[in-house]
Amino acid sequence: MNSVGEGCTELKREYDQCFNRWFAEKFLKGDRSADPCSELFLKYHTCVQKAIKEKDIPVEGVEFMGPNREKADS
Amino acid sequence: MRTFSGREIFPFRALVSDWSTRALRWCVRHRWAGPERQCSRTNCGSGAVFPSGSRALNLYNTTRAMKIWTSEHVFNHPWETVTKAAMQKYPNPMNPSVFGVDVLDRNVDRQGRLHSKRLLSTEWGLPSIVRSIIGNTRTCTYIQEHSVVDPKEKTFELQSTNITFTNMVSVDERLVYRPHPEDPEKTMLTQEAIISVKGVSLSSYLEGLMASTISSNAGKGREAMEWVIRRLNTEIEELAITARGTLRTPMAAAVTEK
Repeated sequence: MNSVGEGCTELKREYDQCFNRWFAEKFLKGDRSADPCSELFLKYHTCVQKAIKEKDIPVEGVEFMGPNREKADS
Repeated sequence: MRTFSGREIFPFRALVSDWSTRALRWCVRHRWAGPERQCSRTNCGSGAVFPSGSRALNLYNTTRAMKIWTSEHVFNHPWETVTKAAMQKYPNPMNPSVFGVDVLDRNVDRQGRLHSKRLLSTEWGLPSIVRSIIGNTRTCTYIQEHSVVDPKEKTFELQSTNITFTNMVSVDERLVYRPHPEDPEKTMLTQEAIISVKGVSLSSYLEGLMASTISSNAGKGREAMEWVIRRLNTEIEELAITARGTLRTPMAAAVTEK
């Protein structure tokens, strides 16, 4: 699957692979550990934001929060 | 107009039964609201009083003609499998119009639910008459989607809306995947879409077109999910075969050494 920004597709693939693995093997099984994909997401996200600005896509209300985790109080 | 009696899934009341849509696969139920019904988004619901009379003739009236569509489907796979597949739904051969998917934001909230905001880039497969009105070069549509996965409650909810062509049409969709209430090895998908079109002369035509497109896309979407699930299962099997093969080699070597 491509990214909206042509140059971001490779970064997107790397992030997706990382995320899908964590999602299936950890998150869905109840493991609350943070995903290890923050760095990959940051690179990918920066690229996408630039592409969105260039293409003037009217994305609503998205502030970059990044893959921050708000851990539940234990 | 006769109302379609059937189990209500959402607060939306089934407004009109469309006999042509009765010819459906037995596991899918569709309900349609007629184009003559007009209501704003806030008063479309159970107990709502619809304005009587004919459809609005004023082109620039704030009341828009709307069509509401709901559907239910059962997948013969457990919720986790369906959720994984739904997360990786694109690309798939049944939805060729989606040519880009991007994650805009993702985070886990205090309750442990995963929120994702995504941007879908699509190319509408519009008939040429509609394309000639909108413009040939402007058939690229962007959709923004917000989804929440709750691994404890086992729900995966997605809401999406178009963020381009909003001055002409608004398509809001909501999908919820949860385990089937009677069989935990199955998953129930409930879908709804609200379409509103501005303008009068083409509104009924466009609404009908959009509604049937949504219905046909929903069918393709379900096929797409089955396709993705099969692909994921094949990958897992191949991994298992490779792993067994890798184990067998040192074991065989150990045996022959003896």
